[in-house]
Amino acid sequence: MRKKVIRSLIFILALIIVLIELIPVILLFLTSIKTNMAIWTSPTPFHPFKPTIEQYIGVFRETTFFKNIFNSIYIALWTTFFSVLGGSLASYALARFPLKRKKEISIGIIFTRMIPQIALAVPIYYMFRKIGLLDTYTGMILAHTTFNLPYVVWLLLPFFQQIPKEFEEAALIDGCSYIKVFTKIFFPLVSSGIIVAIIFCFLGSWNDFIYTLVLSNVKTTTAPMLVTTFVGMYAPEVGKMSAAGILIILPVFVLALTLQRYIIMGLSGGGVKG
Amino acid sequence: MKFKLVFLLISSILILSLVLAQTTPYKTTINVLVWDDAHTKAVKSLIPEFEKVTGIKVNFIALPTRSVLEKAAVGISLDRTDYDLVSIDEPFVPQFGDLLLPYPLWPKGKIFEKVDLKDIVEGAVNAAIWEGSARGLPINGNVYVYIYRKDLFEDPTNKEEFKKEYGYELNPPNTFKELLDVSKFFAKKPNMYGFGPFTIKAEGVTAEAVFIMSSFGTDILKVSGKAVKLALDKKKAIEAIKFYKELLETAPPGKLSFGHTERIQAFNMGQIAVMFQWPALIPNHEDPKQSLVAGKIGYMVPPAGPARRVAVTGCWILGIPKASKNKTAAAEYAYWWASKEAGKKLIEAGMSPVRKDLLSDPELQKTRKWYRASLEAFKYGISRPRFKDYARVSEVIQVYWTKGISGELTPEQAIDSMYNEIYKILKEEGYVQ
Amino acid sequence: MSNRGNKSGGVKPRQIINNIIFLGPVIAFLILMLIYPLVYSLYMSFHKWELTQITPPSFIGLKNYINLFKDPLFWHALKIQIIFICIAIPLELIIGLLIALLFQIEFKGNNIMRTLLLLPFFILPSLSGTTWRFILHPTYGVFGAIYRFLGKEPVDWLSNGTLTFIAVIFQDVWRTWPFIFITLYAALSNFPQELKEAAAIDGASKFQIFFSITLPLLIPAITVACFLRLIDALRIFSEVYVMTEGGPGNATTFLSIFIYKNAFRFFQMGYANAAGYILTTIAMIISAIGLTRIFSREIYEY
Repeated sequence: MRKKVIRSLIFILALIIVLIELIPVILLFLTSIKTNMAIWTSPTPFHPFKPTIEQYIGVFRETTFFKNIFNSIYIALWTTFFSVLGGSLASYALARFPLKRKKEISIGIIFTRMIPQIALAVPIYYMFRKIGLLDTYTGMILAHTTFNLPYVVWLLLPFFQQIPKEFEEAALIDGCSYIKVFTKIFFPLVSSGIIVAIIFCFLGSWNDFIYTLVLSNVKTTTAPMLVTTFVGMYAPEVGKMSAAGILIILPVFVLALTLQRYIIMGLSGGGVKG
Repeated sequence: MKFKLVFLLISSILILSLVLAQTTPYKTTINVLVWDDAHTKAVKSLIPEFEKVTGIKVNFIALPTRSVLEKAAVGISLDRTDYDLVSIDEPFVPQFGDLLLPYPLWPKGKIFEKVDLKDIVEGAVNAAIWEGSARGLPINGNVYVYIYRKDLFEDPTNKEEFKKEYGYELNPPNTFKELLDVSKFFAKKPNMYGFGPFTIKAEGVTAEAVFIMSSFGTDILKVSGKAVKLALDKKKAIEAIKFYKELLETAPPGKLSFGHTERIQAFNMGQIAVMFQWPALIPNHEDPKQSLVAGKIGYMVPPAGPARRVAVTGCWILGIPKASKNKTAAAEYAYWWASKEAGKKLIEAGMSPVRKDLLSDPELQKTRKWYRASLEAFKYGISRPRFKDYARVSEVIQVYWTKGISGELTPEQAIDSMYNEIYKILKEEGYVQ
Repeated sequence: MSNRGNKSGGVKPRQIINNIIFLGPVIAFLILMLIYPLVYSLYMSFHKWELTQITPPSFIGLKNYINLFKDPLFWHALKIQIIFICIAIPLELIIGLLIALLFQIEFKGNNIMRTLLLLPFFILPSLSGTTWRFILHPTYGVFGAIYRFLGKEPVDWLSNGTLTFIAVIFQDVWRTWPFIFITLYAALSNFPQELKEAAAIDGASKFQIFFSITLPLLIPAITVACFLRLIDALRIFSEVYVMTEGGPGNATTFLSIFIYKNAFRFFQMGYANAAGYILTTIAMIISAIGLTRIFSREIYEY
């Protein structure tokens, strides 16, 4: 009996915590369904107002919303592709190849992810300007891969390491090349890790702000830029900003909810045993 | 194998997106970078017309002011440029001056006539000049105009009360003293405030600071040719800050982070009695869909300070980078935009003209009551310091002016710091021997 | 013995080819896109390089760095960065830990709530920044409404330096404690139950179990989580940029904002690169310490 009471109390406590944590998102949503006037006259949920979808329509009509989303997805897909491909190859090699100074190389590669993006953004901007890669898809994909690639290596290392040696020894003795061993045996074995890598590469690219701010312009503007166009505008556009915000969050939320198992793995798998 | 299928699926998605991302080639295209407001929105809506007549495709990019500056700086150099036509905010013309084609060298338009600078208000033309020649076409007529609640000022009860308390007639303020009096007066009324300041960290603060300080008789920098001297009179500047602090007390809550958004809203909700406004933003106040006080607004030149009457100018000019490969097409677009015909249409949608003929058109003056005030105000036009390193100086002004008026520093400390910081910048950049 | 990376005892050409195929692309890419820009950045930091100038940049050696060290704003940025890290990360850690422990207990809806709690972490940092900026607004934000509800005049948080700083910390903690929460939760879930049960049977109290068994076992996870957070906290940019633009005044001008401003507002590329280099150096030092620590736990030789 006592346990049941405690359980219910904890349930309520957890519920309160979740609600508090999600308040900003709820507020954002509420703002997105108010008219411009209503945003100023009824700022809290306690002031009644008439819900409207005009903000969303405004976002669709008055901004390059679809283009931004398309660009974000396009760039994210390609950078994920390259990062996962290159990263898994390297990670496998670092985990299984008989190499000297493996540890140093691994640390070196993962090191690069720790470089603050703003410090890289300035010289990369200059480089791209010189060779004409500014505001190009190629350029953006290259830039995003700089932080995705090392991350994949870091993420997959423990996955590759945990596979028993016997798997490859048998195949190698049979005369298989490392490539075959990799594609036929190891890659499938770490599939859950790959999925996590894909998710996080995609999210990392989706969320990137600095490179987009500095390296892209009209052609390759991405989703985060939608937010900035509303900040700094002369006339009040808080409503549309909220609508755009909700629209951007929505796919991420859905993704997170459906793939939460992998996400938890990804957040806790890197470097933590178990 | 399952993996093969997945791989195929992913690759086909990738290929599909690759196909979708292909852009189709066009004939001549020009890239136009401008700021974002009702005016440029209107220009954008008229692009199809222009394209039909000229065959020039226009890539119209409208960004918040700050971003325009950044994108222009990173996108334009002597040997290459991302834009064929770019709008530069007046105080930054010196910075970009060398990169832009001087107006006299602009090619003549084949379809649209090259605009004669004499048709443009002088104050605006001055905005475009750098080292002797205009670097572009002034395109929007921004100058400090004061807006006030005509209904409140004409209300007989208010007039009576004011006369009783202050001893003179309630009229739109003509001097700084009157400005302070009316602001205090209206701030006492329920749910009402007096003055609408500009305090959020942005160019607008520099404009306010320059406006107030200049009205009190001190400039910040004296620029003559390549020589730049620090001309800040500390005593007068301190008085300026003290005055603004008093005005600030009559402002609505949130007064220390009042930017364009907040000012427009507050005025539109009826909370503000008087404040300055850029003509480009006035349409926001006269739009009944977002303003409760549309139709009740009066316009005038800024009140005179103890030393003189000034009005800060803030025009945008359209410039063609020297590195552009589409100069004629870009010029064509600029001429179309600045023409009288286009102007008439754009005004409907919120453009603030610089053409003398548009501003003095009697028909237009009837429906847009602020044109008269603009014309007047341009006569008193002063600009913010015009030299290459303006951005850094503007930053210093913003930081210390705000610290001075918020009370974080005493006015004396604020002005001292401002003076010293600006001096440091001048020294670093070699203006001081 | 020439080729690096080959096992001792004979050069196998096959092995070299494999190395190239597997590691080559990654290393080549990283050299091109990371090492080269960094070197270029160093080069730029030795010049006076203004973005809009028409004359070529001039070599000034270490002058940029010297000016940087003389620049009070740089030290200010560094100072508030450190203060920020020292306050935000412990907060996130404590909250994350407590709630991770809470969720260890079985109750209805545990799964769903866990997922819901993750959501703020996936919001665009820039979106998070704008949302909070809007919440803090004295007129149309909830904060303003709360003040008015309490009968007081709304305080404008974002125009007060200290309050803005606190708000930025708030925003960061709000957004990132779920990350620590989930990392610790996963680690906790993987715990061998037997240890705890054995201790319980032996008569240890809940507290003792926690401090002598649970906590020590959690240390690897805590280290990783804090390390990752630390690196991210050093680079904090977009949330602050959209929320405050470094203001009011310079109250929230963290290092990355300082660099960005110098590069893209004042167009002083040389100076900005110098500052960027210092930031990178700091990040490198911390990473070196952290990574070697973490990696020393990994099984590497076999």
